[in-house]
Amino acid sequence: MGKVMLEVKGLTTKYITRFKEDVYAVNDVSFKVEEGRSVGIAGESGCGKSTLALSLMGYYFAPLHYIKGEIIIDGRNISGMKPDDIRKNILGTEIAYIPQAAMNALNPTRKIIKFIEDVVRAHDPKATKKDIYDLARQRFEILNLPEEALGKYAVELSGGMKQRTVIAVSTILSPKILIADEPSSALDVTSQKMVIKMIHDLMELGYIKSMIFITHELPLLYNVTDDIMVMYAAQLVESGTADQMIFDPLHPYSKGLMGSILVPEDGTRDVKLVAIPGTPPNLKKPPDGCRFAERCKYATANCRLSQVAFYDFENNRKCRCLFTENELREAYKNEQS
Amino acid sequence: MKSQLRSIVRSGKFMTGFVIFVSILLLTIIYPLINPGDPMARIGYDSFRTRPGTYVSLYDTLDGVNTFTFRIPGANDIRISNKLREDDRERIKYWLVEYGKQEEVAGLTEEEIDIEDTVALLGLWWEFYSDEVFVRNLTNAERNAFMRLDVRLDRLFDIDDLQVYTLNPETGEHDILFTEVSTDDYINVSDVANIIRLPLGTDNFGSDVLKKLVLATATSLWIGLVAGTVATLIGLTLGLLGGYVGGIVDDIIMFFTNLFTVIPGFVLLILISYGMSQMERGATTVAVVIGLTSWVWTTRSVRSQVMSLRNRDHVNLSKLSGHSMPKIIIKDILPYIASYVVMAFILQISSGILAEAGLSMLGLGPSTTSTATLGMMLDWSIMKSTAFIHGAWWAYYPVIVVILLISFSLNLMNTGMDQVFNPQLRD
Amino acid sequence: MKGYRKYYTKKIIWFLITLVAAVILNFILPRLMPNDPVNAMVGRVAQGVSDPDVIRQLYEEYQREFGLDRPVIEQFFIYIGNLLRGELGKSFTQRRPVADILATAIPWSVGLQLPAILTGWIIGNLLGALAAYIRKAFDKTLMPLMLFIGGIPAFGMAVILLSVFSLNLGWFPPSLGYDQSLIPAFNWNFIASIIRHYHLPFWSIVLISIGGQSLGMRSMSIYELNADYVKYSRYMGIKDGKIVRYVFRNAMLPQVTGLALSIGTMIGGALVAELIFSYPGLGSTLWRAISGGDYPLISAVTLIITLMVLVTVFLLDIIYGLIDPRVKASQYE
Repeated sequence: MGKVMLEVKGLTTKYITRFKEDVYAVNDVSFKVEEGRSVGIAGESGCGKSTLALSLMGYYFAPLHYIKGEIIIDGRNISGMKPDDIRKNILGTEIAYIPQAAMNALNPTRKIIKFIEDVVRAHDPKATKKDIYDLARQRFEILNLPEEALGKYAVELSGGMKQRTVIAVSTILSPKILIADEPSSALDVTSQKMVIKMIHDLMELGYIKSMIFITHELPLLYNVTDDIMVMYAAQLVESGTADQMIFDPLHPYSKGLMGSILVPEDGTRDVKLVAIPGTPPNLKKPPDGCRFAERCKYATANCRLSQVAFYDFENNRKCRCLFTENELREAYKNEQS
Repeated sequence: MKSQLRSIVRSGKFMTGFVIFVSILLLTIIYPLINPGDPMARIGYDSFRTRPGTYVSLYDTLDGVNTFTFRIPGANDIRISNKLREDDRERIKYWLVEYGKQEEVAGLTEEEIDIEDTVALLGLWWEFYSDEVFVRNLTNAERNAFMRLDVRLDRLFDIDDLQVYTLNPETGEHDILFTEVSTDDYINVSDVANIIRLPLGTDNFGSDVLKKLVLATATSLWIGLVAGTVATLIGLTLGLLGGYVGGIVDDIIMFFTNLFTVIPGFVLLILISYGMSQMERGATTVAVVIGLTSWVWTTRSVRSQVMSLRNRDHVNLSKLSGHSMPKIIIKDILPYIASYVVMAFILQISSGILAEAGLSMLGLGPSTTSTATLGMMLDWSIMKSTAFIHGAWWAYYPVIVVILLISFSLNLMNTGMDQVFNPQLRD
Repeated sequence: MKGYRKYYTKKIIWFLITLVAAVILNFILPRLMPNDPVNAMVGRVAQGVSDPDVIRQLYEEYQREFGLDRPVIEQFFIYIGNLLRGELGKSFTQRRPVADILATAIPWSVGLQLPAILTGWIIGNLLGALAAYIRKAFDKTLMPLMLFIGGIPAFGMAVILLSVFSLNLGWFPPSLGYDQSLIPAFNWNFIASIIRHYHLPFWSIVLISIGGQSLGMRSMSIYELNADYVKYSRYMGIKDGKIVRYVFRNAMLPQVTGLALSIGTMIGGALVAELIFSYPGLGSTLWRAISGGDYPLISAVTLIITLMVLVTVFLLDIIYGLIDPRVKASQYE
């Protein structure tokens, strides 16, 4: 058991839509990330995984609002901290973020090095230009970026270079946790692999201690992360190691999600492409019972009665389902035959 | 589409603008019905001599109108203060202050004399003034003037009943028409045969400003509508052609669009308008010319919209299904750009009306004696005559207000629609 | 540097093209119209003359004077040649060279409009950015107000300011550029008089530019505030104050182009405002020329206005290219 880098307890946040409606996009989420481990979070678009990524930063501004729960980073509870303390002492240094749209994440009219200076100085006003430059150059080298890029504007860089620059900026202060929100969705397959490899290198070099990877592409997670959590309708529905989750999903939703994706790895190639019928529940008015019940073919009347807890299963797995592990396996076996 | 229409109707900005605009439009239709007559007719004297107000025929008030008696306390005070002119008050004060300086009388200082309080002012005058009192600082001419003033002031109070006579042509003598016209006699205005209501007075031609303003508003709206339609049609056609066909056609269209973006439209407007003789410059002609010089923005926005639509799936599907270009444009492109075109059209109406006003003030407006436009009213009252010097605010202010209301209401409608179609801009 | 060179070459070529087009239009448009300039002038001079022979004689005389009896192409080259020599002809209402008249009018117009438009642009941008950033009550009152002011034509604003601050309150003189009883000289009296006369025309142009610019800046700033880089910068712990500066800069730069695109309309509006105040600039010159049917003067004023607009647009394009790196990048595409 490594040291716990990030612990989240019952985190609930909402965002307010343009029409002044509350959407509880993160509902009672709890999990731990240990040092040196990477965790993947998978789910359909709209399930709340991007909101979760932002909520984990502990820094809330409209339209995102904190409701309850705790975020503990390396033993320090940041939930009660003042926003400006979080901004100065947590963001970037303890926890950092790579946004989904890295293409547009950089200010188009600010030179890269100037932006890096802004980032570093926001946390350490006394940092000298030279120190910052040296630091930036060293990270650029690791990420295989030319030094000249530092003196350029974001608009002058290619897509792949922008992506790597964002990684360099996000990790410039060696955060303990790096949250990457689909950092590669806009890139081609080769660039995606490269990006993932680079983040791994940074972790191996010790510039980041642990990471959370958010994606809707499960095969990507299998290559990248040690553990996988599946999110559905603002809640975690199952968690386990990457092997368990990809080759032996237990929750009917994870099972369906696996089935609906063609994994280009040996042994799973012949899995049928099955879309899960139905649509996720409306998060403005979530159902009383199991949120997946409406789309679940094994659901019983019981499932619709009340919220389902995140039960501990064998082998350190967790699953939000009323059925036991054996009952689920039985059901899947019956179905196949 | 339906839901967008609903949110447009729900948008406060759009509806406010819409209500103002429609009210103006309805007024131009309804007012001539309830108050018919030629708005261009010269009913009064030239040069703004008639201020806004209701004019009652003096003759008709005397001739066979029933009188009613009202005893209103203070009626005489009102009469007197109405007759006491502003400059008389100033002169009374002047004398009193000078006198006060000389004799050191308490209460006769600059600050203590209130020229608005007629009773107190006249009280002071009669208390202290006499033609025997010698005030040192006054010139001889001034002293004489004050003597005359005193006589006039005395006469002010000769409020006695009047007798009205009429000349009898047969006898050559004056017959008494009314035995007595008492200060307590009143007449009912509706009994008077001839009343002229001029809420906005008359202009330099002696025409009823309100009537003319209504006509001018209607004409200007028509000019805006024609100019807007011409500009939108040209802009839509060129934008569709450039955006959809692309290639060399687009290059040529864009060349001219860019050219006329930088070459100011009003210069072209001046050059074209100057080249037409006065006879040829009717309101509609001017409107068409305005439209011909203001299609650039519509072309640009339609073109960029069409270009982004051109390769959408539904358009490609239509192309693959072998639909003809006009059909694709009408069914698959126009509905998507309709909102932009309508917004551009609304702005074109407003800028057309403003362009006409500017052109008219330069002396190149529609040339006609049978109708008026808002710009021509401004031109006549401000540039070609002397409304400023005469203090004839009624000849130009209402025109400016109408122009502001039209342009504000159209801008509001445009912004309201913009917020519906670009949700980011919402409040 | 390649991006810049391409951008500037393009802008210079485009400037030359528009210049040529503007000169051609200025020459050809009045000649295409049914009522040619000579006709218009003869009509004016011969008012009350009924003898057709006299009118025909006048017509021929003017035609010769303006060279209109020659083929159009030849006329055009004469016109270009004259332009290049700065020879703009003679005003026949004022009986002096058009170039002289322009030389006295241009400084007044430029001195009035350039500072006014710039001031309006700066204040408008600040207000628009504030409205976008603060939103709430500030935005709710400012937006409709700016929408209202922005919709006021320059001449309307001029009339309002004139009647309120000059006719009613008597704070400023209602017309002209300086007190006519003074002899133009470089002394305090004269300068004070110029400043007193400057206020109302200046503020009427400033106010309407504020109205127009602030709305554009507000939309642009809201767009920028929602941009991904703002969110990312925030999550990297950068202070809000700094981010607001990013946004302001990024939203303001395109406003330079916005100014370039609207400068023609603004100058046109400002000219009519000059007219209301009888300000001794190009607006009043144009008005006098039109009412006197003074064709050489009209043609020269329209040409000079077009030139001023073209040069301003060109300069703004050049400045924009220097300050916004996005321009350089877009040249590579």
